[in-house]
Amino acid sequence: MRRPTTAVPLAVTALAGAVLLTGCGGSASGAESGGSGPELSVTSPYIPEPVSDSMAAGFLTIENKGDAADQLTSVTSDAAGSVTLHRTDGGAMEQVDRLTVPAHGRLVFRSGGNHLMFDRLTTKPVQGRTITVELHFATSGDLKVRMPVKPATYNPATGH
Amino acid sequence: MRKKTFAAAAMLAAATMTLTACGSGDDSGKPVAVVSEETSHQAATVLDQPFEKPDLVLTDTHGKKYDLRQETAGRPTLIYFGYTHCPDVCPLTMNNLAVAKKALPKAEQDKLRVVFVTTDPGRDTPAELGKWLNGIDPQFIGLTGDFATIQAGARSLGIAIEPTKKDKNGKLVSVHGTQVVAFSPKTNQGYVVYGEDATVDDYTKDLPKIIKGQNP
Repeated sequence: MRRPTTAVPLAVTALAGAVLLTGCGGSASGAESGGSGPELSVTSPYIPEPVSDSMAAGFLTIENKGDAADQLTSVTSDAAGSVTLHRTDGGAMEQVDRLTVPAHGRLVFRSGGNHLMFDRLTTKPVQGRTITVELHFATSGDLKVRMPVKPATYNPATGH
Repeated sequence: MRKKTFAAAAMLAAATMTLTACGSGDDSGKPVAVVSEETSHQAATVLDQPFEKPDLVLTDTHGKKYDLRQETAGRPTLIYFGYTHCPDVCPLTMNNLAVAKKALPKAEQDKLRVVFVTTDPGRDTPAELGKWLNGIDPQFIGLTGDFATIQAGARSLGIAIEPTKKDKNGKLVSVHGTQVVAFSPKTNQGYVVYGEDATVDDYTKDLPKIIKGQNP
């Protein structure tokens, strides 16, 4: 319901892919022996221009091409006093300590689902600017991501 | 492996479920023809049994008493329950409505009533609410007041909300509704429901009809 319809088959495909891949490769021993461990990259980061001057939400997708899962444990940014991880269930959001990026899978932050929550913003994000964040993981090294500020009504499915 | 397979199946099931879950408010709403959503996205759910407009008498952003039924009688009206400390869905929903509203002729914009009822009256004072809504559309109406009254009003539209509470980190957490209910200017009944995935384009397409009390 809250995901763009086009994204659903994608997610399902990704998951199905993960099943297949772990099915043939993953004989218990896992990452250490032949595997590469997690290989993370970030796509489609954005921050909708917030209404509030103190808080904003951010969205991105973390893709893992590696054969081991990783966990996003924290996010930091000079632009905010705190950045926390949230998931949304119905109309209630809940802060979580960490989120898993599955092997050969992705961790998706999108409106109505998981989001990064920026609190105590030092400057209000306005459209056209970028906010830099650092993603910290249990296994992988930090990832620095430049998140463009998009219009408040930005919809990544349509790109406007 | 088994777990993964199950996850995939669950995901599929979830995908199917979320699609069907679209329209069905709480009880009455028949699950609409949303099954074919894969090809033609339909954001609006026209209700077989419309909702009565909630009998809410609350406080507006100027600190004045606002009788919802009285003030919006004969007006096309959109109602949403949310809170201003909500980073994601609440501002997105209200901004989507604001952008779609701007596509209407001026006279129709003036007819439309967009009412944001806070689910977090503790933090959303009339002033806070006014400041926030001004950043979205100064014509939007913001209402605050007694939580139990607001909750009962929401419940009458099949929208479940809970009081603001502290999470394990001591942060205040509130709950927003997940739908926008459109009320007809002809019957004053809530006859169309939008889920939180409704886009600017959906509202832009439908508002001209909602203004007239027609089915989108």
